Amino acid sequence: MEAALASDDFTPIAVAATATTAATVGCAHCGLPAAAVDDGPAFCCAGCAVVHRAIRGAGLDAYYDVRERAVAARTTGRGYAEFDDDAFARLHTRDRADGARTATLYLEDLHCAGCVWLVEATPRVVDGVREARVDIGRGRCDVVYDPARAPLSTIAAHLDRLGHPAHPYRGAERDAARRADDRAALTRLGVAGAAFGNLMLIAVALYAGLFQSMASDERALFRWASMLIAVPAIGYAALPIFRTGLAAVRSRRAHVDLPLAIGLLVGLVWGSANVVRDRGEIYFDSLSMLTFLLLVSRWVVGRSHRRAAAAAELLWALTPQRATRIDADGTTSEVPLEAIAIGDRLAVRAGDAFAVDGVIASGASTVDAALLTGEARPVAIETGTAVFAGTTNLTAPVEVIATALGEATRVGALVRRVEELSTRKAPIERLVDRVAGRFVVVVMTVAILTIIAWGGARGVEHAMALLIVTCPCALALATPLAVTVALGRAGKAGVLIKGADALERLAHPGRCVLDKTGTLTVGRPSVVTWAGPDTVRPWVAAIERASAHPVARALAAVAPDDTARATDVIEDRGHGVRGHVDGHRLAIGAPAWLAGEVDLTPIEADLTAITSRGESPIAVAVDGVATVAIGIADPLRPGAAAALARLRALGWQPEIVSGDHPAAVAAVAAALGGLPARGGASPEDKLAYVQAAAARGPVAMVGDGVNDAAALAAATCGIAVAGAADVAIEAASVFMRTPDVSAIADTAAGAQATLATIRRNLKLSLVYNIAGGTLAVTGLIHPLVAALMMPLSSLTVLTSSLRTRAFRTTP
Amino acid sequence: MTTLYVVLILALGGAALAVAAFVWSVRSGQLDDLDTPPRRMLLDELATRAPAVAVTRRGADDAAATR
Repeated sequence: MEAALASDDFTPIAVAATATTAATVGCAHCGLPAAAVDDGPAFCCAGCAVVHRAIRGAGLDAYYDVRERAVAARTTGRGYAEFDDDAFARLHTRDRADGARTATLYLEDLHCAGCVWLVEATPRVVDGVREARVDIGRGRCDVVYDPARAPLSTIAAHLDRLGHPAHPYRGAERDAARRADDRAALTRLGVAGAAFGNLMLIAVALYAGLFQSMASDERALFRWASMLIAVPAIGYAALPIFRTGLAAVRSRRAHVDLPLAIGLLVGLVWGSANVVRDRGEIYFDSLSMLTFLLLVSRWVVGRSHRRAAAAAELLWALTPQRATRIDADGTTSEVPLEAIAIGDRLAVRAGDAFAVDGVIASGASTVDAALLTGEARPVAIETGTAVFAGTTNLTAPVEVIATALGEATRVGALVRRVEELSTRKAPIERLVDRVAGRFVVVVMTVAILTIIAWGGARGVEHAMALLIVTCPCALALATPLAVTVALGRAGKAGVLIKGADALERLAHPGRCVLDKTGTLTVGRPSVVTWAGPDTVRPWVAAIERASAHPVARALAAVAPDDTARATDVIEDRGHGVRGHVDGHRLAIGAPAWLAGEVDLTPIEADLTAITSRGESPIAVAVDGVATVAIGIADPLRPGAAAALARLRALGWQPEIVSGDHPAAVAAVAAALGGLPARGGASPEDKLAYVQAAAARGPVAMVGDGVNDAAALAAATCGIAVAGAADVAIEAASVFMRTPDVSAIADTAAGAQATLATIRRNLKLSLVYNIAGGTLAVTGLIHPLVAALMMPLSSLTVLTSSLRTRAFRTTP
Repeated sequence: MTTLYVVLILALGGAALAVAAFVWSVRSGQLDDLDTPPRRMLLDELATRAPAVAVTRRGADDAAATR
């Protein structure tokens, strides 16, 4: 009876009525295109639907008002049973005196204030959680909970449902070391800043005293006070500069810190001598300003490097440090990672991460490799499949033969590469070092000649003035200041650039290889046409939820509620899927596949319309009758064509190399006015293509992960876009939060402007030093002028950096 | 002149206190995370807006089952 009622709905009138309402709306969670539904919110994928319902269900709707940007949700739906394990508790949680426990978790996808709020609201939603505190830069969260009332698995499952899958955080020791460095750098910065401020106040009094009369004992008091502040403060704050300078002398390598150290040291010594002699100029105000500016610019640049390195180390942190080894006699033992050799057989329980790269020896399961590949779908594994350290075994226990360990694993290689990237100097920084090296020789020679030429105390005085005046503060500041300004502004626009090196690479145009998916198009297939009765939606969704195919993910989002249960779901790989829902027999798949068993005439017209619009057609048969025609498409981004035109204007040659079907790639290329395009490229093809192109000239590779990481790393400048795998982000020099080709054009333009600013800064600083040096040697320079010239040159460079056109938001 | 001595010592003493306070705040870890607090502070008033809804172990398991 129920079946009869339901099939009554399939009248031609119902089909016609709903076919006209089929439209594309924004996904209620992330705003990506999704097929409209008549009642309730529409979703682009099942992940967004689950997260949206979890957020509303927990009464956390305010999230949608406060988040800074919408990102497609990822949720695994895991139970996290292993989090309640005693062994887990021993390794990753700490007992507190009051009976509660603290666990440190790594949470995926923490982006903005909204995410922070969502996670930190956990105590109000999950009974038994006392506190949740997020560190957004490190992606970690400290949870204080009452184990008796809220097991950690419940908390982790709750966070997962909010779109932040949880992992145990294993990087605590490394973090501690880095934190000590951070704190030391920050303390030096604070001391230098305080010294700079107070010395300037005293300097104002002294300069004023030069023009109005000042009692000599007052003058002496201020000079002594200056010295007492400056010598310890600068001595402490500039210690790293002195050390690098000394190392440069020892290793006989040019480094910009050497002339800086000489200038600072001579300034401190000569200034102190002048205080004691009670005559001549003290240089403490200028020296403290130089130290402060240097430390600020280096701290900011270092922070962006550290952030990149820290993100890479997270992958390490997520790789277990222990594994269960199966010995030859069949006994198992828990051993540390260091004790494992290649060829060892390891047992990996469901829910555990793989500790090594290996091959499955027995068992079949699924693996969550999202952190490594960006692929949100679990990947099926069986005997003989290769698995990688850091990925998580989801469904069933398996046995693995280790093939690579530690540094040799894919994760290890990536971490190493990122470390290389972040410590590598940009060519322009090396140029500055070389200039500084010659500079030292020239200035020292001139200083000795000055002493000889003038002779006696006079000569020493002029030589000292020369050494201090030519202290290349402006030279040392030229690059970091411009880079700092550029990185800061780009960061605000959602573009993360990893240092001067990346900027410089982006500033030299060449080929720009785009991966179609995710940059030129919206990046995920979604249902754009639904021609058929809406009653079928929950059934289609129920059947497709069981499948992991990307198209199935789009189809699973056509119905908001998931009350319908599918049974007997059989997937015909690459063609379609069959199943039973609510007593109906459904077949969903490509029209050609369905035509073999069903007469498609009732939906023929709809299918033709769908195909003519360039969408991929899917047909649905209910109880052997063709009922619904569905159109699936990955639409072009608005503004893609205009952005490509801007890239060309900047000197880049955009082209597409994509793993997508050649016909689809050709269609996109044609829609964008005949872009050179190549489809059907495997990850190896992409890598080979990028390597070949990189041998001939600069190549920028834009990709969103899954399998682009290698090509991103091989390119002159790899650009990862939002939604990319963490690995791809690390392998790339630039990461963009907006996966949009127009952001690429903005960034390329900004990089060129920044490089122009750096060159301008370098010229300015050299002009200053040559002019100041000449005046000092000839003895023409008044001590006051010398003291003013130094800060003035730094200020000029600072102003020049701030006035750059780079990354300025368009008016 | 004597005033100058007193004022100078007071001023430098104040500066020394400020530096000491800064060093203390760095050492006690208050400046370890510079990214989250500026965001967290924007949402302070929201804390009162969220109604408490208990997620029990069962609730979480149900949510897992619906996948």
